[in-house]
Amino acid sequence: MWNDLVSLLFLAYEQFMYLSLFIEIALIFIFIAIIVTLMSYGSILFRRYDSYVYQKRMAHLSPIIEDLITEQVLLNENLGKDIPVDEIEFDQQAISNKLFRKPVVRQILIDTLIRYRKNFRGEVGELLRKLYTEMNLIEDSFAKLRTFKWETKIKALVELTQMDIPISDSMLLPLTNSTNPTLRAASRNAYIQLSKNEPFKFFDIATEPILPWDQLEMFKIITNTKDVTIPNFSRWVSYSNNKSIVTFCLKLIAHYDQQSAIPAIIELLSTKDHYFRAHAINCLGKLSAEIAEEKLVTIYTSQPVNCQIEIIIALGRISSGKHLEFLKQEFLFSSNFDVQMNAARSIIRHNSQNSRSMLTEIMETTNEENQLIIKHCQNPLIKY
Amino acid sequence: MPNILVIDDDDIMLKAIKNILNKDGFNVVTATDGKQAFELLDHTVYDIVITDLMLPHANGLEVVGKVRHNEANRNVGIIVVSSVGNEETITEAFRLGADDYLKKPIMAGELLMRIRKLIANKNSKTQFVTKKK
Amino acid sequence: MKVIIDFFSKGTFWDILGIFFQYAVFIYGTSLLLAYGLLAILSLTSIRRYMKKNASVDYNIIIESPLAPGISVIAPAFNEGITIIANTRSLLTFNYPKYEVILINDGSTDDTLEKLVDEFELVQVDYAYREKLLSKPVKRIFKSTNPAYDKLVVIDKVNGKSKADASNAGINVAAFDYYLCTDVDCILDKDTLIKLIKPFMDAETSTVREVNGDIQIQEDYKRVIACGATLRMVNSCEVDEGLMMRVRPPRRILPRFQEMEYIRAFVLGKMGWDTINSVPNVSGGLGMFDKEVAIKAGGYDSLSLAEDMDLITRMGAYMTDNKKKYSVKYVPVTLCWTEGPTTLKVFGRQRSRWGRGLAQLMSTHRKILFNPRYGRMGMIVFPYHFFYELLAPIIEFLGILFYIYLIITKQINWPNAIILIVFVYTYSVMITTVALLWDQITFKYYKTWGETIGLCLMAFIEPFVYHPLIMFFALNGYFNFIIGKKHVWGNMQRQGFSPTKKKSTVKAG
Repeated sequence: MWNDLVSLLFLAYEQFMYLSLFIEIALIFIFIAIIVTLMSYGSILFRRYDSYVYQKRMAHLSPIIEDLITEQVLLNENLGKDIPVDEIEFDQQAISNKLFRKPVVRQILIDTLIRYRKNFRGEVGELLRKLYTEMNLIEDSFAKLRTFKWETKIKALVELTQMDIPISDSMLLPLTNSTNPTLRAASRNAYIQLSKNEPFKFFDIATEPILPWDQLEMFKIITNTKDVTIPNFSRWVSYSNNKSIVTFCLKLIAHYDQQSAIPAIIELLSTKDHYFRAHAINCLGKLSAEIAEEKLVTIYTSQPVNCQIEIIIALGRISSGKHLEFLKQEFLFSSNFDVQMNAARSIIRHNSQNSRSMLTEIMETTNEENQLIIKHCQNPLIKY
Repeated sequence: MPNILVIDDDDIMLKAIKNILNKDGFNVVTATDGKQAFELLDHTVYDIVITDLMLPHANGLEVVGKVRHNEANRNVGIIVVSSVGNEETITEAFRLGADDYLKKPIMAGELLMRIRKLIANKNSKTQFVTKKK
Repeated sequence: MKVIIDFFSKGTFWDILGIFFQYAVFIYGTSLLLAYGLLAILSLTSIRRYMKKNASVDYNIIIESPLAPGISVIAPAFNEGITIIANTRSLLTFNYPKYEVILINDGSTDDTLEKLVDEFELVQVDYAYREKLLSKPVKRIFKSTNPAYDKLVVIDKVNGKSKADASNAGINVAAFDYYLCTDVDCILDKDTLIKLIKPFMDAETSTVREVNGDIQIQEDYKRVIACGATLRMVNSCEVDEGLMMRVRPPRRILPRFQEMEYIRAFVLGKMGWDTINSVPNVSGGLGMFDKEVAIKAGGYDSLSLAEDMDLITRMGAYMTDNKKKYSVKYVPVTLCWTEGPTTLKVFGRQRSRWGRGLAQLMSTHRKILFNPRYGRMGMIVFPYHFFYELLAPIIEFLGILFYIYLIITKQINWPNAIILIVFVYTYSVMITTVALLWDQITFKYYKTWGETIGLCLMAFIEPFVYHPLIMFFALNGYFNFIIGKKHVWGNMQRQGFSPTKKKSTVKAG
């Protein structure tokens, strides 16, 4: 039997070898194509079945989990009675339901708790956290942190930070140097949020850029976390080599209105990168840095258009009134439309007696096109 | 029992608020998008409307505008509950007539307190009007 | 050896030419199929990377953030009176904190503009309009007096007979650094702006590296100039006032084939190219662009019949000419549903235009082809499109003619011919099935397995029904390009398009 099969195969092989090369290639590909197609069908059907099962399970579990959270947390009798959250007890019988021992269920529990945490803070938020620790879900998250898959680690980091659970430095710091940028960003965010001592240590050591998206997350964490001590960001503006950190610090300086950073930012105006310079000018405007005005006007003529526009916007924000005449000149004589537009906006923004009389004067003397620009900028319906 | 309409596209948030408010003796109606909300608003006058800003079909600003547009709804208290942190949008909401703004994540206690305050205000206003007559 | 002996022992010139042609076609065909196979593998890595990377991303973060970059949504409309209100409403409800919607009424002859003015309480404003990109004159600009619609800008312009012209006018008004190009009749996902802006915000800026103790700043800033996503057919989906309620593959056969083709082209093609940073095109139906680069590259060309790919090509060329690194990204999620032509006539016109557009593009930008100065665009994107997109219908057509000649002269080796045909057939079925599988990995758009398998089975009849049609219309397009027949599109094309559209939109709503 076995020999028959071998000899048959051998015969087929011999036949096959007699065929021309192209036909041989074609036959091999036909074989591969059929196998792959069949496998794809199998996989599509399997995936669908899998998700069907999951959905069915979810439909069964979601109400149970939501009821648990509603009863134990949202409608907890002891809420709103000035009892410290730590002393509020859960119904042990309810939370030790056998169902909640299954790994899949536990994961759904964690995800649901996080969704609630995103909507509620204060007492309810604290109580959600307590439920998370009391049901020992915290262990599940830590277990995930110890796996080798980076995406699982990120999931763990997100869970732990959402639940505000401290992670030891020895566990977190190595991750912040990971070669995987996504994991690096996630662990950096976790560190800033969870480490109460020195959250901004990264700004000193980070060599990799902080991507704009990561900046969103960091910005949120920095501005939302209660106990973070806000440092003087001008430190990094002066000393960091990492452009993305400097740009990010500029945004934070503007947000926290750190006036003391102005000299450091003025230093930045000599940088070669004009996109970067535009950020610095923008920040000076937001800080209403009157002392920078002279410098901005002096460098104006040597700047590329994007920086010129930023200077004009900044002058409008500062609104000292000293450079109204300059803005007027730019408005009337610049050949760049965007410069004209922004000059008009900046004059309007001054909203002082001088600026108003200047506008009336311009409206009386200038051509129709310029009048239209002023009307455009004064129209409250046009916002951007 | 005061009537409250809650509009949010996150079903978890909806259910949670509903539960919390029910417990405190409010009657709660929910809507998950702008269209549903408009239909409900056409039929009933609510005491308080709690709305999110980003909704399918119509945004929260529109909801606020629509409520204020209707004479019958003049005294309805509007609370915007949203995760939007953009100041311009919040200002816009107030300009359109929102009474209060809470940023997500919210504190349940705070929400309750503000609802009670709005209802109290409203009652005193109507009392004032009737006295005058 | 045998091959070479065969080659010379056959005698006459025609025989030799015939054999040469046979081999050339075989090699061409096999390399094309291999290229598809390679794309399938590349696309899988790309999709998996995207899925892993975005599994734990909290997209809501950008909604809360004051740092979110502004986006201008640009949507041209021509005689869309029936659906304009619902679709505009839907554009006004994106989940995004900072954006504007610029609707361009491209000289509609129906009540599109009146409806907009009434519904959204619009008034004409004194608008300082400046033409940065060429377009037909803009007549008026409207804004809403209702603060709830303060995002909306409506431009009324003279009809420019092309989407390019209208889009250019929109870009001229756009206030933000990024713009989303779409059609007003497309159904877009609520998260479109978030999903498409993310790749722009994931672009590396500069890196600081320590080399031998010296700190060195490396500038490897790769600017993302455009980003696209998958498109599908809206034909049999349930749509409620511009909002997608239930996704379903089209019931009618022609759009159904298109759905399959789109999934293959986007999920397998574009995502595969994304892995090696060689995305050739961001579809006109949905794409986010870096406005600065788009303007510097000259905006849309209203004379081009493939204005979307033309723009990406010019943007890429602009970046290369200025020695800047760039990339075009794709996200493997479907964010846009568009109406596919249901009649052969309209479909044929669309495909002929595409074919003609491709020929036109290749001839306009021929300096890029095989030009190493243009990097991947010159050495990968263009050669691929030249050989496997532009030449494919021609070679295929010649191949068929040759086979017919062989059959008539009774020279054909039937067993071999059948094996070759089966080879091409099974392989193409495999590629399509794999594409549909990859699509299922990102998101299960169809509710039932019947719908999924129903779509998959189309792959088996595609080579006999749909594929010859595409080939024919492409050739027709090339022919028109060569004889330089004046192409009438814009109004006429759209009017031909609208009756079917309106009917089905009403049905869908």
